[in-house]
Amino acid sequence: MEHEKISLKLRIKLFITILKKDIKSEIRQINDLFSILLFGVIAIFIFSSAYNYGTQIQNMPLEIFTIEIWFIIFFILIFIMTKLFNQEKESGTLGGLITSPVSASTILLSKIFFCFILLTFVEVIIFLFSFFFSAPLIQNLSFLQILNYIILGVILPSVDLAICGSLVSAFSMYVKNKSFVLPILLFPLILPIITPIISININLFEGDLITTLYYELFFIIAHITLMVSILVIISQTLLYD
Amino acid sequence: MPESKNDLINCVKVSKQFGYFFALKNISFKIRENTIFGIAGANGAGKTTLIKIICGLLSPTFGKIIIDGLNYEDHPNIIKRNIGITTDESFLYEELTLYENLRYYGNLHLLFDKEELDKKIEDFALKFNLSDWIHEPIGNLSHGMKQKVELIRAIIHEPSVLFLDEPFSGLDYKATKILITFIKELKIKKKITIILTTHNIEVLRQISDDLIILRKGKINKSFSKEDLNEIEIESYF
Repeated sequence: MEHEKISLKLRIKLFITILKKDIKSEIRQINDLFSILLFGVIAIFIFSSAYNYGTQIQNMPLEIFTIEIWFIIFFILIFIMTKLFNQEKESGTLGGLITSPVSASTILLSKIFFCFILLTFVEVIIFLFSFFFSAPLIQNLSFLQILNYIILGVILPSVDLAICGSLVSAFSMYVKNKSFVLPILLFPLILPIITPIISININLFEGDLITTLYYELFFIIAHITLMVSILVIISQTLLYD
Repeated sequence: MPESKNDLINCVKVSKQFGYFFALKNISFKIRENTIFGIAGANGAGKTTLIKIICGLLSPTFGKIIIDGLNYEDHPNIIKRNIGITTDESFLYEELTLYENLRYYGNLHLLFDKEELDKKIEDFALKFNLSDWIHEPIGNLSHGMKQKVELIRAIIHEPSVLFLDEPFSGLDYKATKILITFIKELKIKKKITIILTTHNIEVLRQISDDLIILRKGKINKSFSKEDLNEIEIESYF
C-alpha cells in the first residue's frame, strides 16, 4: 500500500475538485437555482407591494427594508442547505466522497465555500430587485462606504450563514424528515446573529463609521469562530455514521 | 493464531448493531493477498453490512478491521487511497457525463495528471464499449452501462483491494460472463485482492478462492477453493 501523506497542496487541489464538481452540477440543474431566485424575487415583490399598498408610502424605511431582505435570505439559506450534504446523501454519491482519501475537514470546507458562492449569487440578484421594488431611503454613500457595506454588511454575514448552513446540512443528512429538521436546527444557530446583522446593515446604510459597530462585528466574528471550532471538532463524526 | 504473512485484511470480532438489532455478530476472518474472497448468504444475512464495514462506509459497533496492518481510526486516508468500492448505491452523478464522473473520482484519488487520467478513461471506455457514451450524462445511460462505469470508477486509481457488492445483479448472462473474466483478469494481471458479495453460487464456484456464508449475521460456514466444487454450498445458506 502507498503510505505517502497528503500534503497541503494536494488538500487544496482536492478542495478545488469538489468545489468545481458542485458548481458544474449546479449549473446542470439550473432549474433549482431559478426556483430559489424566483422565490426571492416574488417574496420581495409581495413584501414591497403590501407595504406600499398598506401605508401608501413610496419609499420603504431603511429598517423595514433591511429586515425584509435578511428575512428572505434566511429562508433562501434553507433551500441552499438542501443542496449541500442532503443531495449527496439522497443520490448515494456521499459514499463516493467519504470513501475517497479526502479528509472530512476538506469536504466540509468545500461545501461551506459552495454554500457561500450560491448565497452570494442569490443575494446579488435579490439586492438588485429589492432596490428596484422597495426603493429604500438611502442617502448618497461614498465608494468606501459602499465597499464597507459589501464587505461587512453582506460578505461577513454570508460567511457566517454559509458555515451555519453547512453545519446543519451535515447534521441533518442522516435524519429521515429533513425538511422539518433543517429549519428547526438552523434557527437556534442563526438567531443570535440576526440582530447584529440587521444593525450593521442599517448603520452602514446610514453612513455610520465602522468604529461605531465594533460590538456587532465582534459578535459576528466570535460566532464564526465558534461555528468553525464546532465544525473542526465534530467534522469526522458528522460525515461518518 | 499467528497472522499469516500474506493476510491482507483481518476482520477481528466485528459486530454491528442498528438500534436493538444486531446485523453482524462477532465475525472474525482473514483475507489473503491477491485472492478473490466471496461473501454469500440469503437476503438479510448481513453481506452488504459486512462489506460496507470492511471498506469503511460503516463503522463497526464492536471489533476492528485491519488492512495491511493499518486500521481506519489511525490511517483512514492511506487505506482509502488503496481501495476501490462498488455498492448497491450508485456513486455516480447523474447530471455529469461519464468522462466528468471518472475524472472527478480520479482526482479524488489524487490522480491529477490530466493526460494520464484522460488516457486511462479512454482505455477503459474502449475496453467496456463505452467510447460512444463518454460525453453523455450518466442519467442517459442504461443500467448495465452504469454498472460498467461504476466498476471503472472503482478501479481507475488502481487499488490494491477491490470491494464489489452484488456486482452481478441486473446483468444478463453475457454481461455476467464478461464481468467474471474481467474480475479474474484484475486478480491475475493487476494483482488486486477482490472481495465480493453475491447470491450466485455458480459464479462463486467459478471465481472464489475463499468463501464465507453468512446466516443471521454470523459466519455459518467457511470454504477454501478445494471445498467449493465438492460441498453442497446451498445447504449452508
